[in-house]
Amino acid sequence: MNSVVWLLLIAWLLPLASFATILLGGHRFSRLGWVAGLLATGSITASFLCSLAAAATWLWQNPPLMHAQSDHHEPLLNKPHNNLSPHPAAAEIPSAGSMRVLSGVDSFGNREGYFALKESDGRLNIAQRGELPYGTSRMAGGLPSSTLNRLNLQSHDRSAKSPPGAIVGDWYTVAEFGTLRMTLGYYVDSLTILMMLMVTLVATCIHVYSFGYMREELQDVVEDPEARVDNSAQPLQRPGRFARFYQFLSLFCFSMLGLVLANNLFMIFVFWELVGICSFLLIGFYLERPSAVRAATKAFVVNRVGDFGMMVGLAALWGAGGTLAFAESSKDPGLFSRARTVYEQAVTSSAVAQEKPAKVQEPSAPPGPPGLPHRLSYTLLVLGGLGVFCGCVGKSAQFPLHVWLPDAMEGPTPVSALIHAATMVAAGVYLVARFYPVLMPEVLLFVAMVGLTSAVMAATMALVAGEIKRVLAFSTVSQLGFMMFALGIGGWVAGIFHLLTHAFFKALLFLGAGSVIHATGTGEISRLGGLCRKMPWTAVTMLVGCLAIAGAGIPLVVGLSGFHSKDAIFAQASLLALKGSPVGRLFLALAAVAAFLTAFYMFRLWYLTFVGPSRQSHLLAHAHESPAIMIYPLVILSIFAVAVGWKIPGVGWGIPEILEQARPGVGLSGIMWRWWVLPPEAESHLPYVHKVASWVAFAAGVSGFLLATMIYGLRLLDAARLRAACGWICYVLERRYFIDELYERVFVRAALLLAKSAAFADKVLIDGCAHTLARLTHRAALAEEAIDRRVVDAGFNTLGHHLFQLGLLMRRVQTGFLRQYLMLALVGTIIIFVLAHLF
Amino acid sequence: MFAILESFTSPFAILSAIVFLPVLAALTVAFMSRQTQEETRIFSLWITLLVLIAVLGLAIAGGSRPGILSRSWDQGRVQYGFSVPWIERFGIFYFFGIDGINFPLILLAALLGTLAMLASWGIRDQVRAYCALFLLLHGGILGVFLALDLFLFYIFWEVVLLPMYFLIGIWGGPRKEYAAIKFFLFTLAGSVAMLVAILMLYFYSDLRLLNEIVLQSCFIDPGILSHGRGQPIHTFNMLALAELGRLPHSPFNQLLWGVPVHTWVFWLLMFGFLIKLPAVPFHTWLPDAHVEAPTPISMLLAGVLLKMGGYGILRLCYTVCPADAYQFAWVIAAIGLLSIVYGAFAALAQSDFKRLVAYSSVSHMGYVLLGLAAWSIVPGDPGSRQYWTMGMCGAMYQMVAHGITSAGMFFLVGVVYDRVHHRELSKFGGLFNRMPVYGAVSLVIFFAAMGLPGLCGFIGEFLVIMAAWRFHPVAAILAASVIILTAGYILWTLARVLLGPTYRGPHPEQLTDMNPRECWVAIPLAVMAVVLGIYPKLLLGFCQPSISRTVYQLAVWSERLPQLSERNCSPKTSARPPIGQPIPQESQTPSVGEGPKIIGTDHDRANESAAVGPHSWDLPGGRGEKTSSPDTSLRAAENNTLDRSNSTLEN
Repeated sequence: MNSVVWLLLIAWLLPLASFATILLGGHRFSRLGWVAGLLATGSITASFLCSLAAAATWLWQNPPLMHAQSDHHEPLLNKPHNNLSPHPAAAEIPSAGSMRVLSGVDSFGNREGYFALKESDGRLNIAQRGELPYGTSRMAGGLPSSTLNRLNLQSHDRSAKSPPGAIVGDWYTVAEFGTLRMTLGYYVDSLTILMMLMVTLVATCIHVYSFGYMREELQDVVEDPEARVDNSAQPLQRPGRFARFYQFLSLFCFSMLGLVLANNLFMIFVFWELVGICSFLLIGFYLERPSAVRAATKAFVVNRVGDFGMMVGLAALWGAGGTLAFAESSKDPGLFSRARTVYEQAVTSSAVAQEKPAKVQEPSAPPGPPGLPHRLSYTLLVLGGLGVFCGCVGKSAQFPLHVWLPDAMEGPTPVSALIHAATMVAAGVYLVARFYPVLMPEVLLFVAMVGLTSAVMAATMALVAGEIKRVLAFSTVSQLGFMMFALGIGGWVAGIFHLLTHAFFKALLFLGAGSVIHATGTGEISRLGGLCRKMPWTAVTMLVGCLAIAGAGIPLVVGLSGFHSKDAIFAQASLLALKGSPVGRLFLALAAVAAFLTAFYMFRLWYLTFVGPSRQSHLLAHAHESPAIMIYPLVILSIFAVAVGWKIPGVGWGIPEILEQARPGVGLSGIMWRWWVLPPEAESHLPYVHKVASWVAFAAGVSGFLLATMIYGLRLLDAARLRAACGWICYVLERRYFIDELYERVFVRAALLLAKSAAFADKVLIDGCAHTLARLTHRAALAEEAIDRRVVDAGFNTLGHHLFQLGLLMRRVQTGFLRQYLMLALVGTIIIFVLAHLF
Repeated sequence: MFAILESFTSPFAILSAIVFLPVLAALTVAFMSRQTQEETRIFSLWITLLVLIAVLGLAIAGGSRPGILSRSWDQGRVQYGFSVPWIERFGIFYFFGIDGINFPLILLAALLGTLAMLASWGIRDQVRAYCALFLLLHGGILGVFLALDLFLFYIFWEVVLLPMYFLIGIWGGPRKEYAAIKFFLFTLAGSVAMLVAILMLYFYSDLRLLNEIVLQSCFIDPGILSHGRGQPIHTFNMLALAELGRLPHSPFNQLLWGVPVHTWVFWLLMFGFLIKLPAVPFHTWLPDAHVEAPTPISMLLAGVLLKMGGYGILRLCYTVCPADAYQFAWVIAAIGLLSIVYGAFAALAQSDFKRLVAYSSVSHMGYVLLGLAAWSIVPGDPGSRQYWTMGMCGAMYQMVAHGITSAGMFFLVGVVYDRVHHRELSKFGGLFNRMPVYGAVSLVIFFAAMGLPGLCGFIGEFLVIMAAWRFHPVAAILAASVIILTAGYILWTLARVLLGPTYRGPHPEQLTDMNPRECWVAIPLAVMAVVLGIYPKLLLGFCQPSISRTVYQLAVWSERLPQLSERNCSPKTSARPPIGQPIPQESQTPSVGEGPKIIGTDHDRANESAAVGPHSWDLPGGRGEKTSSPDTSLRAAENNTLDRSNSTLEN
């Protein structure tokens, strides 16, 4: 194994060791909770250092390409006729081109220590670091543009410097059936490296922060003001659970890192469920509060709805392809290369049957293990992709499975920051990104639509939410929607970039909210206000977070981290819009609305919390700045929230350029829906696209900020009257579009009804049958007994009676007189003789 | 000296001891003094422990015996067996043996027997009788799994029934008579059907159809053929019956009232096993029996007795009557799915803790049925075998995993019932704070039942669902959808029992944490749940070779179906060939492509079934070389005489 892999393995297993130690320590840690805390914090810090070392090694071995800011590119769209395809021959021999793809020629060559990925050919679509032929080839030949693009780009790609392949391998085989293998292994590329870094860093900050936030749990007896026994006035008393908190946190970190490292869907699913159960345990940490228990159960069950879809997707891919591995290792053919081949074949066959879009031809000999009749087909890939995306919808709390996340805020605030903002909920986005090569354009369109719906919808719900953490939760859903949207429209780097920046500023915002709650004992915005003086550090760091999430910055120059990542997303959306697709324009408009709303509700939150008059003066009077151990993580996170989007000075590259290495190949156009064409992300860096995007994002953000300032900051407009003016809208938003009620009424009730009827059927139908059978048998036995008595017994009795009577009759003959006997003997003899004589 | 040692470690001695040590101990206990309750319990515990040690010894022993250390498991055959004439006139043998199909269940039975005995300290009335019946039950269960003679199997099957009846009927809850009689009548109905099927098999069997190699592999002295004098030689030998069932001219193809014998046998046996499993709609005895039975008996009932059904299906129905297993696979799968869905819904509606666990058993055992039924062999396609192997291994795994989780859950219910004497879910709450160890163990065991990865329940469920897709996507989707319901009822139960502000029922002062004895029962189960969840090969190592072998044999059998061979390589569709008529041998067409060749004569057929090389059934054709280790070639050399047929199979 490579040293990078070793380091990551250690980083992965350290939290597990911490979990196991605390588990085995058992009771001893209930007294010494802080030891458990130190253990967990130490292990995650060491984990972070290992990840850092791994990242350094990786970057040393594979320095990112300097991003060629495409100044020299002509805006091709404006004058498409000028540039003809540099390889006009390619237009004439499409089959030759696709044959090359089929044979899987490795354009990267094998590097020592790496498994060269077959799907490397898949990267050709966007890896156009030289020329930019999109739109040029549209003119050439009569072939569909997608096919031509591919062919042309492929030829260009040869000259470009190739990105490093992923390091792939297996650690442990769970089960093996012939060629079917379920393994735990690693898939390390720059995406993995960055995710490991982000997770361990944020987790370290939150571990440290929790020392302050959870300090009460160190006591032997804790009073929980929100849990009461039978409505008594006394708050409930319970033992402190400091060690258990850190134990679960460690388990979570282990599971999350395993999820990031996974090299196959089986391992993803395993850790997917494990992070889910950690989320259950930590949301339900205050297990005395019925609301927390309900929220925990709801979170897990809703997640399981998504996991059900994921399992179906897994089964489809497994049944058809015989593997769940992403990339091929020495034993398995990977899903990525298979999906790529299926896609290429579908493109080729639809290109051959071009201009007849009525029927999509399924490829005649799709790849698969030899002799498998069920093989991967385009339809199955779409089904599998949708299934896996279902899981992502559940985990990332996207519409329509977003209902669990706002309730999940019942957990302790550090948990909300770590699990329900920075890492676990982002796992859905991560999986979409990781699984990108298998997601066909149709699936990606679905991803984009779901993402955008969530982004807008959650943002509107955040407008009226009354609690700090709920606002942040809706904001998380909205931002995750943004990421999904970016991935869905082809902005792979943009989506992941936003994931990474979001992790920092959202964790920061949550920790800030935690600091406020810690100080005042409440998160209700309506009871807060004017905390700026009392809690300067918290106020400033949260302001940084708000600015970052709103995407503050100077257009086209520099800004906070959120500015850069949001810019990238908008660039991709603008590109889509500029390509002339009406869908693209709608997408851009909705994204702008979501960005506007984001800025608005974030500043609403900040103003209501930190400036203006205090609405409950006793809260303000008792408020105090949080202890230093909570402030340090806030400061560190706010530094990252500011700077993580910047290029590293001196070397000239930043996170997007590192991510660029791991960019997977994507199909450009759908096969089922030919009108759906994804623009290559590299084009979004074109100045004219970038300019549009920057200004749209800036305008949306600034107008949101200004509106919030007018209403809540300067109070030029009266919020209460605004609210009264649009009462029913507020009502709908406050009730979260009635979706929770709908689920409660329809699904939960239907399930319970079905359950009741099943139990009823058991009692009445099945047991009824059994009882009837038993009763019939009993009746039959009774009847048989009756027959016994009345017929058989009676018959014999009658017979006996008559015999008895006969006997009585005969008795008369027995007189005892000898002569009478002799007489009878004589008569009898005569009769016998007579009879003998007659017959 | 060594000879004596050798005779003590012979299969005859050890396997007989495993079964009859508890039985003899039961007799001893029955004559012990009335005053020695504690001693009686300890004596019984020692007996179960001895059995467990013996079984564990078999698992890890090396040398020529089966065990983890010896690789002889890879053969997948029945090994470490013996067959002694018992009632020779009727061909009844005292025939025990071990292979990968029964050994995991024997391990499970021995383990749960010990733990259930340890959980029996709560029984205070008539301890002697209880222990005697318990040990008799234990021996009977082990006998069912070990017996390879159908007559012997049936005897043990009935031996299990009676002690169970008394254990529920005497030491049970308020409605114990009802529950005991219901259990007895349901199961008896099944055993009557079984008896008819067994007699049918016996009277239609004829050993003369098998050649010497096959007979030897079935532990039958080939000399028996010379005793025939032209009459059919009937047999109760399960292995021989399976060989007969797979013959092209199987004697079971004869018609009886217009229906082939094997179909009669299949459904009669299936009826008995479905009741035992239990499958919907024959399951209603289970909740009642569980609710009324004392805790340790519930543990054994759910943990081991239900597995007798799954074991019977795998051992008898699928091997002796492959034609029906194939033809009615969708019926069995449908029953399995019905059980999965129905059981989960019914569990969701329960308000009695123990009843809920009982219904979850119905749901979980449905996965066993689905995994067994997921017949996805496509003739001429060795790759398709892997999926069914996976499904069957999943079913096997599910049996053992369910044994551990359900026994654990019933025990945990029993722990609180002992303290507060009620099981109303709405009257619990807050136990996590009152009983921290209990809470932690409960989390592990209930999560394992929920199918959480890293715990044992996940592996079985996952394998079955993944394999079911190849049988029919709808089956996989339905089975997968139940994970939502499972999460629902398990988490809801945990929320109502462990979480919440405080305990809401009677006797709150009685709620103390588990005592050391209870910990000794619960913690091993929790540890097993974790170990089996992380290292499934511990179990798959035993059962996979045997299951692969079974699947391979069925695959070879299905190659013979002429209708199938023609439809080679096309995806399996619903159009299943009508099976039941004797298949004319002339119409067999060789399958195209890789995969086992059709072997025409009985002699070759016999060779092939006896001579399957190590792991050769596990691999698709053409990949055989890839995994051939020195070890494999060594064994191939041992099988030198059989090599010829082996190579024809492999190429």
